Amino acid sequence: MNALFTGQAAHNLQQPYGLDFDEAEISLISVVDPYWTFTSNIVFVGNGEVDPEEVWVRNTSIPGIQLKLGKLRGTFGKHGLLHTHAFPFIQAPVVMANTIGNEGFKDPGLEASWLTPLPWFSELTGGVYRGIEADDEHPLDFGSSAHDNIPFLGHFKNLVDLNDATTLELGQSLLQGRGADGNHHLAFGGDVTVRNVPPRSSNRHGWILQGEYIQKGSRAGGSYVREQDGGYASLQYRLSQIWWIGVRGDQARDSFADFVVDEAGSPIPSKVTRGSVNLAWTPSEFSFLRLEYSHAKSDAGIHPTDDRLMLQLSYTIGYHPAHAY
Amino acid sequence: MKSLIRFGLACGLAALAAAPAHANLKVATSLTDLASVAQFVGGTHVTAQSLCRGYEDPHFVPAKPSLMKAIQHADVFVSTGLELDAGWLPLVLPGSRNPKIQPGAKGFVDASEGVQVLEKPTGTVSRAAGDVHPLGNPHYYLDPKALEVVAHHLAEVFSRLDPANADAYAANAKSFDEKMDASLEKWQKEMDPYKGAPIVPYHKNFIYFIDRFGLKEFGNVEPKPGIPPTPRHIAELAEAMKKSGVKVVAYEPYYKADAANEVAKRSGGIAVEVATEVGGLPGTDDVFAKFDALVSTLTGALSGRARGQK
Repeated sequence: MNALFTGQAAHNLQQPYGLDFDEAEISLISVVDPYWTFTSNIVFVGNGEVDPEEVWVRNTSIPGIQLKLGKLRGTFGKHGLLHTHAFPFIQAPVVMANTIGNEGFKDPGLEASWLTPLPWFSELTGGVYRGIEADDEHPLDFGSSAHDNIPFLGHFKNLVDLNDATTLELGQSLLQGRGADGNHHLAFGGDVTVRNVPPRSSNRHGWILQGEYIQKGSRAGGSYVREQDGGYASLQYRLSQIWWIGVRGDQARDSFADFVVDEAGSPIPSKVTRGSVNLAWTPSEFSFLRLEYSHAKSDAGIHPTDDRLMLQLSYTIGYHPAHAY
Repeated sequence: MKSLIRFGLACGLAALAAAPAHANLKVATSLTDLASVAQFVGGTHVTAQSLCRGYEDPHFVPAKPSLMKAIQHADVFVSTGLELDAGWLPLVLPGSRNPKIQPGAKGFVDASEGVQVLEKPTGTVSRAAGDVHPLGNPHYYLDPKALEVVAHHLAEVFSRLDPANADAYAANAKSFDEKMDASLEKWQKEMDPYKGAPIVPYHKNFIYFIDRFGLKEFGNVEPKPGIPPTPRHIAELAEAMKKSGVKVVAYEPYYKADAANEVAKRSGGIAVEVATEVGGLPGTDDVFAKFDALVSTLTGALSGRARGQK
């Protein structure tokens, strides 16, 4: 079980400064039988709601293929695959909430991923999901009630070892379905990650250089319209067993951000550019404390800039599955 | 045209004849020590490779997708067990999409089965004591006798999967016993003068070696398993070592030499770099060479030779 708390001092937001309870997440993982393994992440959020964020089963009895069935976190991009407590920065990049969802694309469905016979790690994933309407968590409108509205995903990931310590990963993703307006809505993206973990100091040193771009749009009458897009570039650097630092720049166009509002206080879209730096103290594998500062600017709204200071605390008890590389 | 086909066939057959014989079983392991034992037992019928390198901390192996690729076609996977690889193996095994080596399948081996496990926690297990392994200390590969258990376990598994070579696997396991017993006798003779001698390993991973050779664990550079040393702990440990005349600190290539050297400097002792896993240092290419080097380095340090004493 993991518990996450964040304190935030953001002068543009009508919120008191101070520590808040974000969420507690319980992970239950067990083998069902020789064919299936069950995984669930049940999230208790600050307002008292319980969200069965992920509940799925996995099959690995078909050579070369992995099947996942249930309520999934769709395999789209890099940041969208992370649980909140595994975010490298306290705030997700602005583009996330404006394209596939602040915590990625989560929907009931079926995914199959194939490890291709290429000599390096090359994985092709395809998925089909249930059509759902757009809401705060699902910016993509897949709400058409047409019987043939089956949103689908494609993801292609390639990773090569550049040397003993460093890997290069490239990924491309596409997600498409039909919206309540009958039009096709889609998101696509690309990501690149260079990661270094020196084998002689794998729990003390290393760095992750990552960039990702995502675009959301729709197609009506044969013409494509870009709705929102953006991306980020970040560097995380491990100073020692217990200290990490990180720096990130992110930008999103035609996008909403919590500080971008008009005179009436209503959210308005704008081009948001933000820089973030953080310092994390991880005294053990099971807890961390992270201090983060961000400066953002917007080309619209009553707050042209936004500065905020955040403190996040994470605690994990019991068994915790390894995070993906 | 016919002659061209004949020429092609002849070339193909010649190429096949020239190709090395393929091993019957592809074996992958969590640890280099397990790969070394698997190769000995499997002989020419097996190719064994470890996912963790000898100079890499076996607790913190990054679950790289390339590791998944490396075991995609393995026939056998040998896990260290006792949760030593719990931080990465649960991602790597399913990621391989190889049904033959998933837990519960015929090709999955928990090498700790049958090994006499030390330091099994009794009572409540709490992380207040650091990153304690709840099933017991998983570093059994530092006991030569435990590796004999592993060798026989692997011979049984290989025989089940490749019955045509069962006799060879059994004979190799027996031969492993004989070589290990003869080596152990030699190592014990070398270590005998230091029975009861205290040492300070960086991490709590020497307990099987200490138990087998009659040494004593005075303390660890880590204040608790998995917790990095603090200046206060280093000072207190060095002071205690000084008072008790403890001189030897041992650390692996993947630990922070600075902390071990600081403890040794303050206590008036010596810090020696040792390979507890095969391949950790040059000249430790198999389990026998690893123990040779370990015994030689420790006896050198305990005797004072390594500190320049006569």
